Amino acid sequence: MTYSPELLKGTLKTIVLKLLTDNKRMYGYEMTQRVKELTLDKIQITEGALYPTLHALEADGLVKVEIEYIGKRVRKYYSLSPTGKAKAKEKLKELTNFVDTMISLLDLKPKLD
Amino acid sequence: MYCISDQQIDFILADLHRKGIQIEGLQSNLLDHICILIEENLEEDGDFEQFYFTTIKTFYQQELREIEEEALFLLQFQHHLRFSRNQFFLLLFTIFIGPFIAGDLLWLINSVDSNGWNLPFEIWGATVVYSLFPLLILLVLFLTPERQDPLIPKKSTILLGIKPFIKIIPARA
Repeated sequence: MTYSPELLKGTLKTIVLKLLTDNKRMYGYEMTQRVKELTLDKIQITEGALYPTLHALEADGLVKVEIEYIGKRVRKYYSLSPTGKAKAKEKLKELTNFVDTMISLLDLKPKLD
Repeated sequence: MYCISDQQIDFILADLHRKGIQIEGLQSNLLDHICILIEENLEEDGDFEQFYFTTIKTFYQQELREIEEEALFLLQFQHHLRFSRNQFFLLLFTIFIGPFIAGDLLWLINSVDSNGWNLPFEIWGATVVYSLFPLLILLVLFLTPERQDPLIPKKSTILLGIKPFIKIIPARA
């Protein structure tokens, strides 16, 4: 089962910031694969959602970009800026609170397995 | 593993450009992503163009330029408040008519204290008319056919903020 894009839309920025918190630097394709791997294919980040988000994070100064040439093409590696590190903590805390609220709102119990 | 040539990279770049991806950073990201997919999934003697056109179609719903539009949208309107059409009208009525109705009702209640419920018809009449006025406008707005509502089309999104103060984004077909 994969989750609907609507469900993921509001969390993508947090996912990217968290990935960059845990990994020193990453490029777009690597992020999509890492998310697939960590969620056992349940979350598949689309290119159409990921790259606009990375572009916005870069413009906001939350991520830094290093460029590497692979033959004729360019690979953009993203890493967190100092502002981005603080933002990542803030977004993660917000999302954790949100999930806790949803669990209590929907009366869900954590699944133990 | 397939090895992409410089000519094929130029081909992909030209196609991205033709399909509406103008921002250089986005072009680089998409090019690299596509190249990796091709290198990892296409057989050495595979058909490059066919694989490319099949892959690129999975990147968008209707057109590739959606990706660039989304990037520009996130940049330009990230500090704007986003409302659905219903929320926007609710906000308008709350701001412009709400205080008037609240004031009118308070005045009515105060009048009841001094005169009892035996109030002149004008007071009841005005209250009823002004209270129902927003409802009437809402009925007109929501029952108007699509073609006669070009300003704020149904299912559109309204953004409020600074520069621009208001932006109306019609729903995608």
